[in-house]
Amino acid sequence: MSKKAIVFDIQRASLHDGPGIRTTIFLKGCPLNCLWCHNPEATSAHRQLFFHFDKCTQCGDCEKVCKEGVTHFNDGKHTIDYHKCKFCGKCVDACNFNALKITGTEMSIEEVMLEIMADVDFYTNSGGGMTLSGGEPLMHFSFSLELLKKCKEMCVNTCVETSGFVSTIQFNQILPYVDLLLFDYKVTGTSDYMNFTGVPNKLILENLDIAYHHGVPIILRCPIIPGINDTDLHFKGIHALNEEYPNLIGIEILPYHTMGNNKRTSIGSEETLTHLKTVPPEVSDKWIELLKNLGCEKAKIG
Amino acid sequence: MQKIDDFSMELNFTETYRRNINEHIAIREARCHQAQFPAVLTEIQDNDRLAGRTFWGWVGFSPHNAPNGAAYGYFCHEQKIIEAIERGNIPLEQRDGVHELLHFWKKETSKAKVEAAFTEKMLPVLFRDEIVSLPYNFKPLIANPIYRMAGVFVDYEKLLRLGIPGLKTEITEYMEKSKASGGDYKLYEGMLIALDVFTESCRHYEKQALEKAQITNDPKRAKELFQLVKVLKKITVSKPESFYEALQLSWLYTLICGSLELGRVDVYLGDFYVNDIDNGIITEKEALSLMHSYWRLINELFRDVDGRVIIGGRGRRNEANADRFALLVLETMRTYGRAILPQTTLRFYEGMNPELMEKSISLIGDGHTFPLLYNDDVLVSGVAAAHDVPVEDAEQYMPLGCGEIVIDHMGFGTPSGSLNVLKALDVTLRNGVDHISDKQLGLQTGHLKDFKTFDEFFDAFKEQLAFFIEILADHEELEYLESGKQAPYLYLSILYDDCIARGKAIFSGGIKYLGGSLESFGSVNTADSLTAIKKMVFDEKLISAEGLLEALNNNFVGFEKEHKLLKECPKYGNDDKYADDMMVELHDYMCNTIRDQRDRTNLDWYLNVLINNKQNTILGRWVGASADGRKAGREMANANTPAGGNDKKGVTALINSLVKPSHAIHAGTVQNMRFGRDFFTNDRTKFEVILHTYFKKGGAQAMITVINRGDLENALVEPEKHQDLFVRIGGFSARYIDLPRDVQYEILSRVTY
Repeated sequence: MSKKAIVFDIQRASLHDGPGIRTTIFLKGCPLNCLWCHNPEATSAHRQLFFHFDKCTQCGDCEKVCKEGVTHFNDGKHTIDYHKCKFCGKCVDACNFNALKITGTEMSIEEVMLEIMADVDFYTNSGGGMTLSGGEPLMHFSFSLELLKKCKEMCVNTCVETSGFVSTIQFNQILPYVDLLLFDYKVTGTSDYMNFTGVPNKLILENLDIAYHHGVPIILRCPIIPGINDTDLHFKGIHALNEEYPNLIGIEILPYHTMGNNKRTSIGSEETLTHLKTVPPEVSDKWIELLKNLGCEKAKIG
Repeated sequence: MQKIDDFSMELNFTETYRRNINEHIAIREARCHQAQFPAVLTEIQDNDRLAGRTFWGWVGFSPHNAPNGAAYGYFCHEQKIIEAIERGNIPLEQRDGVHELLHFWKKETSKAKVEAAFTEKMLPVLFRDEIVSLPYNFKPLIANPIYRMAGVFVDYEKLLRLGIPGLKTEITEYMEKSKASGGDYKLYEGMLIALDVFTESCRHYEKQALEKAQITNDPKRAKELFQLVKVLKKITVSKPESFYEALQLSWLYTLICGSLELGRVDVYLGDFYVNDIDNGIITEKEALSLMHSYWRLINELFRDVDGRVIIGGRGRRNEANADRFALLVLETMRTYGRAILPQTTLRFYEGMNPELMEKSISLIGDGHTFPLLYNDDVLVSGVAAAHDVPVEDAEQYMPLGCGEIVIDHMGFGTPSGSLNVLKALDVTLRNGVDHISDKQLGLQTGHLKDFKTFDEFFDAFKEQLAFFIEILADHEELEYLESGKQAPYLYLSILYDDCIARGKAIFSGGIKYLGGSLESFGSVNTADSLTAIKKMVFDEKLISAEGLLEALNNNFVGFEKEHKLLKECPKYGNDDKYADDMMVELHDYMCNTIRDQRDRTNLDWYLNVLINNKQNTILGRWVGASADGRKAGREMANANTPAGGNDKKGVTALINSLVKPSHAIHAGTVQNMRFGRDFFTNDRTKFEVILHTYFKKGGAQAMITVINRGDLENALVEPEKHQDLFVRIGGFSARYIDLPRDVQYEILSRVTY
């Protein structure tokens, strides 16, 4: 029996998740809960009902077919009890305006490999390959391990984008099949890490150290959120890591953008950081300048 | 200024034709050329370095739509003449004559001769009397005849090798031989008169240039004009020796013979250019100045769908020199700035001087919509197979206008008909009846509900397609036959293999290959519709046959559920086997059935072309809602490109789909790809890899536009600020803001990567 995992997206012709032209596999589920997450629908490891409120015409067709009492129309307002949903998909079929979907599809290793191998000529010619992302892909440890092994069997370059929050034993097993790690470094300082991401940073820093000494090429990926981690402390923290690990092959700054925020309400969560706007390039350019002045020559916008 | 309501040329032309109506057709045509040239040649403009501009009359002779909408051969532009009559400005003494010539040409134009010869089978399908000229085709037709002899690529190498005097010598020798053996020598006599007309035209411009040189106050301009006088004098008395002379001769011949294509300029001009540069006869700057004048003339005189300047590729005898000239062409494009014409075309193969491709990609990235890219590693063998010609002839393939492939000065293949494939499917659902005009347009093959299996239905559709294809093939054959009977097309016959040697005119057995092509439109929507019908009606039975027709008849209004189901069916362009297999089956059937027509006709080839111009939009107006979810009257997908917005899985999946239909069975497809400027500027290496991989995987052709969606949206709001925004719609480039609004929306709806 092939292993399966919940995939919430497969992006072909992906240009910015590692070298060359790539296919990025997004697995659903993440142990972290970062305030700024731009893929909030990837937090839960389960399938979820997803509602595009702006597409809804209030026709009421979904209410008629739902046996679980998930959708209601009261006073011209369409409300959803997300927790009642059993993912039967009847409301999705009933909606003529594609306002409802179920995010997350269970896929086997074979199915995912089929999609990956379709673009193998593009990988060969561009030095690209497969990128495993999420959520936190290593949450699905055995699926990820097997998928990475399969890719290596087929000579497909592999890249893993991870928060690093994974058991060290499992992380060690993954490393031999990874050509490049896109390793998140989100916040500097133990308590802030906990406050903003929901998890402690000890394990993450240990894993970074393990990966580095294992010799896997690493690009550090740092989301920068105004008012949260655009601090001297954090930029110095990034610099410190660069000093400690001089062979990091890159440091990418990911400036905050708001494009993920309305997805929160679509899955029944509260919006976060509603006061923030997408960071304009002149601000993010300053961050790069600052990092370069500190000595992080390799810092650039990711 | 041209006095548009002075009909002296038209009256003289008509009178000449009538006087010679019973003469040998070669003599008649030659004398008509005398009436036409230099009368329709217009003045050298202030910045012209080359002589040769035209303002065709409303009556005349030309292979290809000289004034737009005038058809071809002996033409009479009724609409323009009637407009002039209604303006009331025609000189009194000409009025009776003008009224009378309208009557005379009604039965005498080349188009009228073809229509008069329609067979019983053609009459009800081709609607002889109801054809309204494009782009305003108000008739919801499936098979549309097209009247033109498009795609003239004369033997420029021979022209420049022999010059006018050398050609005359050769023709005279053949004429003497023919006379001695009692053959039909009149064709040669006509050719000689035609060349005299050409020489007269050179002298006409020589005189004009001299006059202008003498009166100008600008010493620099005077010097240029005196130089032009010398060049023009030289080409009347001898073969060209300098680059300037070669360029002038080839340009004027192009114009007078009525061609709208420039052909393999790097081959026929390369040696002259290199010789002049290497021997200090001309400077790079001077050569570039001449090229700018050439570019400007092409831009001002030709239309957006024509004007192919072709560089690069296999089969160039002087490759090193040709490459150097090709680089001059690219430099001309760069320095001239973005322009709609010429349609510069780069043919390339692995191993060719990489500088040509590198420079071309830079131009594309800078927003020039050219060059168009043609992959010889796929196309040479593809043309050899499809056209059934030896590889050395296939190496001389030339994409004309919108992309129909013919063979340089050996093979003609004018597209003489278009087929609206989606409309053919539309009537197949309804027992051959068009529900818009309530006419029986197709065969009575049954209603959708009558078919038990999808295969039965598909077979009925194939039967319908074959019916229209046969009629269009017969029409192509008829068009050549009637054209040949009426005129030898002297300027073409002089420079097409093997007319002089055989003593026969181009369309009367003289040309080496007489081919043809059929423009098909709407194949992608058709394939996607077939996929949806198969899946929804026959396999999954989620929609009944009656339900589908009702939904289509109501343009999906009140049938949102059906519309959603149909839209969600697999679509071509996403590397999805279900949808792509259907496209391949349709493509194979269409191409092979069209290709088989050469067994029914005397054509050396007859091939499908999946090119595009504006017709996907224009013909789409008369197609009702289709089963792929397209709404009534909306544009059909362009050429071989997925329907707007349907390629959702990114450019790699798109490419994987694009390379599935075979290239060895048709005469040209167009593959539109748009890349956002960011993609191009920030990820140029990746862009190049994608392109390279596409070609390695068997991609034959690419038309790449680099723009971003924001550009287009802004242009809709503030058109005056976006006049420099050019887009390519398959066969031609256009200023975006000049396009009809629905065409603008259609372009906008295509995905930008």
